Amino acid sequence: MQSMTLTRMFILFALVTLLATGCAKKAAMDDSQAAGGTQAVEETQMQEQQISSVEEQAVSDVAVAETEPAMMEAETLVRKLTRIHFEYDQYVLTKAAQDTLYANAQLLKAAPALKVVVEGHCDERGSDEYNLALGEKRALATRNYLISLGVPMDQLSTISYGEEVPLDMGGTEEAWSKNRRAEFTLQR
Amino acid sequence: MKNGRLFLVIVALLLTSLSSAWAVKIEISAPGEQEIPLALTSFLPMGPIKPEIAQEIDAVLEADLSLSGLFSLVDRGAFLSDAESLGLSSVQVDFAQWKLLGAEAVIKGGYRVEGDRLIIEARLFDVVARRMLTGRRYIGKLDEARRIAHTFADQVLLSLTGTKGPFSSRIAYISNRTGKKELYLMEVDGHAPVRLTSHRKIVLNPDFSPVGKELLFTSYKNGNPDLFRKEIYTGRESRLSHRKGLNIGGRYSPDGREVAVTLSKDKNSELYLLGTDGTIHKRLTNHWGIDVDPSWSPAGNEIAFVSDRRGNPHVYIVKLDSLEVRRLTFDGKYNATPAWSPDGKRIAFSRLEDKRFDIYTIKPDGTDQRRLTFGPGNKEHPRWSPDGRFLVYSLDHNNEKSIYLMRADGTGTRRISAPGGDDSHPAWSGHW
Repeated sequence: MQSMTLTRMFILFALVTLLATGCAKKAAMDDSQAAGGTQAVEETQMQEQQISSVEEQAVSDVAVAETEPAMMEAETLVRKLTRIHFEYDQYVLTKAAQDTLYANAQLLKAAPALKVVVEGHCDERGSDEYNLALGEKRALATRNYLISLGVPMDQLSTISYGEEVPLDMGGTEEAWSKNRRAEFTLQR
Repeated sequence: MKNGRLFLVIVALLLTSLSSAWAVKIEISAPGEQEIPLALTSFLPMGPIKPEIAQEIDAVLEADLSLSGLFSLVDRGAFLSDAESLGLSSVQVDFAQWKLLGAEAVIKGGYRVEGDRLIIEARLFDVVARRMLTGRRYIGKLDEARRIAHTFADQVLLSLTGTKGPFSSRIAYISNRTGKKELYLMEVDGHAPVRLTSHRKIVLNPDFSPVGKELLFTSYKNGNPDLFRKEIYTGRESRLSHRKGLNIGGRYSPDGREVAVTLSKDKNSELYLLGTDGTIHKRLTNHWGIDVDPSWSPAGNEIAFVSDRRGNPHVYIVKLDSLEVRRLTFDGKYNATPAWSPDGKRIAFSRLEDKRFDIYTIKPDGTDQRRLTFGPGNKEHPRWSPDGRFLVYSLDHNNEKSIYLMRADGTGTRRISAPGGDDSHPAWSGHW
């Protein structure tokens, strides 16, 4: 069992490193395509990227072995937090959502070091601005309910993405109901 | 009859020099009511022939002037010899020929290339009075024929109605053509789109400064939806507000000294006024409901906004001195994205009706509601041209978002954004 987790971890770590370098290259290419007018901003971004790649090389094997499992564990835990759904133009928690949050609260209380972002999302109908405000109400309603169940406040932060990050682009009633949600990601 | 109409206009224009308030009263700025028969001749070479330049000027002028709805264009096929003559002074123009074709106004012009400079002469004549109404010489770079033609179209509208056209202004919008939502800028007819940001996150909801070449928008660049300001030509960019929670819907006041914005730093979305340094000048709303989407009255003393304080989202108006709030819309179950017209007389907004959003306008006192758009797809985010003649909006249809333009009465609808991406949230600049 243990050796298997270790191997998995190693593979994941390798993948993450690969992804990170891949992203940096892609970003650098995008910079050269940017409109002339945005150069001042782009320069600072380029510098930041260079610094981060230097840091990557400096990290020792020991340090990696110490930090990575904690991150991995956190990732695994956050994935166990089930997302909840909302009715159209509502931020009131349904009975089903409350039940899901009860289970989530037990997980969060068992892992007090775990810092989580509650994301509020909406379906794409209606004003984007209104949906940003509605998404925030959903995230806050979710956070407040978890706190009422005994989850420490400082474990939970919120952000609204409005209608900007849909799960399902289908444009059907079914897709819309999937998109009206609050979900949980690791605070970085 | 027709002749009489243009004659009236000219009399009025003569009076304009005496009393400028009079010019505004000529109601030919209302499209469709009285179309002036206009002969738009091809621009002629004043030196070596460059057909691509002539074609570009002709096409832009024709598109702009027909979009204005003020003219009926005389059939080019019927033109007589004067259309081929470079006589650009009123004594040289054969007005009798144009009168024969029923034209009341004629546009003539010529172009010349001198090294890397393009020189364009453009003139508008009154056929009945046999005189020049406006004449302009433009000197620009070789690739500026399009821009010059837009500028002359603006001048033609100014000359005939007392109000400059909007054709040389710009439209900012949001597009996902790179895979991420970024801020773009294009000409009013959709030409020359340029990407202004590369945040690679989510950029939302632009607004133009009324004074400088500057835009406001919201971006998740730093993780939170923060309000950014960007100078268009220098590319200089800064965060105007990055309070915890939402910093969205930034809208410059008409004098450019303040910014109305939605903040949720106290866990609920409320409207605030910020200074241009980002400090809070005033809180405008105080209600547990959602308050978003501010739009300034042109006088700068009131702001229309969207709130669900009575249940469904509706448009309300807040007075800035007393903070007194009144409700503007009562019909429909979802009213959003209000936009106050530049003359202050109407507020455009989008309303959900029969499972579809359409654009409506209403007077600020809540009377005279009119529906402007019909047909499939959701139409949202209306914004006025600086002269109030047109509205630009986004249409979401068949899983594609694109930007459309129409006259303020809902006629003349045309798509201006190119296919191949989702384009939305247009904002119209002031005169450029």
